[in-house]
Parts: sequence; C-alpha cells; structure tokens
Amino acid sequence: MAEQKKIPITRISRFFGSQDFKLEQDMGMEWLHGDMHFTLVLFRVDKKKTDVDDVYGEAGPEEIRYKAPVEFNGYVNITSPQNKTYSSGLVNQMEPGNMTVSVYMKHLDELNIDVSYGDYIGYAETEDRMRYYVVTNDGRVVSDNAHTIGGYKPFFRTIICSYVSPNEFNGI
Amino acid sequence: MSIPKKVKTNINISPRPPQPQYDSGYNGLTTPNRRRELSELITEDGTFLPKSVLHADMDRGMLDFVEKELDTTASGKRIPVIDRILTLQRWGEFSQTWSFSTEDKNVELPFIVVVRKPDVQYGTNPSLLYTIPDRKQFHFAKVPTWDGNRKGMDIYTIPQPIPVDIIYDVKIICNRMRELNRFNKIVMQKFSSRQAYTFVKGHYIPIILNSLGDESVIDTEERRYYQQNYQFQLQGFLIDEDEFEVKPAISRSILFFDAETNTKNAGKGSPSIVDQKEMNIYNKNKYRRKLDFTALETTKTITYSYKATITLVRSDNVASVVYTINGTTTQGKVEVNIGDVLLITIVKSAGGTAQMVLEELIYS
Repeated sequence: MAEQKKIPITRISRFFGSQDFKLEQDMGMEWLHGDMHFTLVLFRVDKKKTDVDDVYGEAGPEEIRYKAPVEFNGYVNITSPQNKTYSSGLVNQMEPGNMTVSVYMKHLDELNIDVSYGDYIGYAETEDRMRYYVVTNDGRVVSDNAHTIGGYKPFFRTIICSYVSPNEFNGI
Repeated sequence: MSIPKKVKTNINISPRPPQPQYDSGYNGLTTPNRRRELSELITEDGTFLPKSVLHADMDRGMLDFVEKELDTTASGKRIPVIDRILTLQRWGEFSQTWSFSTEDKNVELPFIVVVRKPDVQYGTNPSLLYTIPDRKQFHFAKVPTWDGNRKGMDIYTIPQPIPVDIIYDVKIICNRMRELNRFNKIVMQKFSSRQAYTFVKGHYIPIILNSLGDESVIDTEERRYYQQNYQFQLQGFLIDEDEFEVKPAISRSILFFDAETNTKNAGKGSPSIVDQKEMNIYNKNKYRRKLDFTALETTKTITYSYKATITLVRSDNVASVVYTINGTTTQGKVEVNIGDVLLITIVKSAGGTAQMVLEELIYS
C-alpha cells in the first residue's frame, strides 16, 4: 500500500509552527488529562456482529454487539435537563440535556479508537451512577477555525451526545 | 408456508337448537333469549334496576379495553399500559408508572398511555339521539312485594339514557418500528369493522377508531422515539340511578257503588225529575222500585200515575209472586196504565222479611 502523501502546513509560519502547535497541544492535554481528568467510556457498536432486523436494521437491547469498551479523556459539558411531556402536558419526562465532549484528536489516535455516529458513551455521574449517551454528532468535520489554533490546523473534535433511556442502552 | 396458530380440535356439528317460543323466527311478542340474557347481565349482582353508568365507568371500560383487547407484546415482553386516566395531579402520574419507570422516575419505553379529552360531548349514537323529550320515565321491571299481609308489586321505571361521546387518545411510545407495527396490526384487526365494543356494567358500548397520527420525535441532536396517537371515540351513555323511580302498583282494588235513595215523585211527568232535579239521567225511562215486606206482610199496593211495563229484577225470600191490576190477576207481561192499582201478593220461601226489586219501563 502506497504511503499517504503528506502536505507541509506553512500557514502563519512566521509566528507559529509545528513545534509551537505540538507544545500547545501537549500543554492542553496535560491540563485536560492530568488536572481535569474527565473520564468517559466509549462503547463502540460492532456493526458487523450485531444481529439486526432484515427490513428495519433495528436491534433489540440484547441483540447489539459491542467492541471492547475503552476509557478516554475529554472535556465534558452537559446542558441543563429539560422538563418535557409525552402527551401535551401529561406523562412527564425529565431527562439530562445533551453532553458535549471535546476530545484531542491525538488522544484518540494514541488509543487507536474512533468515535462514530450511534456509538454509546458512558459518563460516571457519581460513584454509583453511570449515565449513557448516544453520539448524535461525532465531530468528524473539524474544518472551522474554532477547532484550530489560530487557523494553523485542527487538534480536537467536538462530540455531541444525547441521553439514551435504559431500554435502549444500559451498559454491557 | 406458515403453520396455522388457531387449530380447532372440536367442531360442534349439531345445529343450534331453535328457541321454543319462536321456532320459525321472532314473532315480535315474546322476549328473545339473547335480549333476556343481556337484561340479566345488566341487573346481575344487584337490584332489579340497572347500575349507574357514569363517566368514570366508561373511562374504566376504555382502560380495560386497551389493556385486554389491545394487549401488545414486543421482544417477548408485554408493553405496559398506564392503568389510569392521567389527570392534572402530577403526583398521580408517578403513582401509576413507578413499576416501569427508570431511576430518574421517567416512564421506561415502550409504553402505552390512554389520555381522555376532558370535554364530553352530547352523543352521536343514533339509537339514543334526541328521541324522547323531557326525561320521560319508562317501565323497566315489576318487582313483587310482600308487606306481611298483602302481596303487591313495585313498578321500577327509568328514563332514557343520555348519549355521550368521549374522545380518547391512545398513544404508544417506543423505540422500535417493530413495536409500532405490532400495535398497529392489533388495532387494525380489532377495528376492521370500524368499531369494537367494551363492556361496562352489563352494557356493550361501541368504540370507533377516529384517526391515527404520528407524533414521533426524530430530531438530529435529541433523544429519538416513536410516538403514535390512535384517537378513539367511545359512544357511551349516562344512566344515573338518582333518576330511577320505584312506585307501588295496585295491590288491592275496591269498587264503590252509589245508589239513589230518593223515591220517585208521584204525578205525571218525567220519572227522572224529582223535586225539579234531574235524576237518573242515563236511563230516564227506567225506574227501579224496591219493595220491603215485613215479617207479617205478603202484599203491597201501588197506584200508578204513568204507563209502564213492570219486570221483577231481584227478590229475596220470595217463592212466587202474583200481580193483580185493578182486581184482575195478570199472567205474563205486567203492563199498567195511568190510574191503575197494582196489587202484588207474594208467597215467602221462609218466615221473616222479604224484598223485591221491580224495574218499570215507563212510556209516559
């Protein structure tokens, strides 16, 4: 297999280069992984082994197969829970808001994992309470300036997850 | 090829026995057996009157219908139904859903809920629609009574039930299309003839499938779930026992007779005019005369001032009678003219008093 062609990044090279980028990234990772230490568990759905319905591609809670869970670190932001109802004011549902996880791309590469749309992420809210979320936006597209350092090159992904009820996923 | 699920192992090949009272069809006179059976269901385990059917009873009937007739199983588990009509009281929701709620006290999917529209409209059931005005009471039953001395009957009457339409939204909330399909199949099979029936206190009450709508939440970055709303119309009726009436029927009949005690005025003129008062207005040309014989009497003399034909109507203690007009004994018909003197001689059957009643057909 041919080696992937690499293109040197020379943007803003008068002020900022690859060594600066590496330094900033390493400092950030040290702060996030060492000081903050938000730990999450990634449950990747094994799409080949999962037994799905022929027509709908649906699987029951017991029918989904997962790859081995992987712990990773990221910056976690969970929005306020919303008070909703199923039927115009009746049958209350009060559930956690969406979880946004900012994760270093380098960290994912080091763990040799990728976060995909539909994977599940567990977040230990307390010592005895793990909440599960499903990836609704895997943040694969990082072209915007916000995901770069001064426009040099992207270095983190923003993964948006929404809460899943226990009958959809409740750990393995 | 699929294997049939319903296999009948025993088929009744004997024809249904005809009902003896109308073996060639309903004659319109006797009560059909089925109607009698339905009537017994209505009054079962109670008084001779039907039990009240009010809003809460119909709500219960709808819940029972959803639980029993629309029972759905998905992935080997029954989809739970919230067994109450949810109201404004928030704590009530949790009290009904705790058995299948999550750690956050949210109802765990999938589930089915019945939501009643609070407004209950006047009914559209054509059999009850504006047919009898003014809450008129109708006979329902005759119930024998016994007060220790006399047998009697009580008449039980009820007014026409009031038709009402109640709208229910039956919602299924779930995560999988297969669960939706299963519930939809059950509903469609049940309502293939547009309506199904629930059973409330002995009454079959029709339910109609009005519409079906989808309210699924399929947002990009929110929790997704399917939600479908089946709207049913229950065509019920209100029977309120406060409107029932129980009245005693006739237990003893007494017949009163009133008789004219005045004697006929003497003299020419209308026999029914006595002291210028009109008497006996229905039979003006007839007059009944009672003759009382003392123990010693056997004769009576009457002088007539009008023409009449005399007939013996009734007698007591009289063996035979002889009529003599102006000294001439009369055989057969007794006819007197004005001024005639009638002598009546009797032979008593036994000693003591005797009575006779003569009817005089008066000519002038």
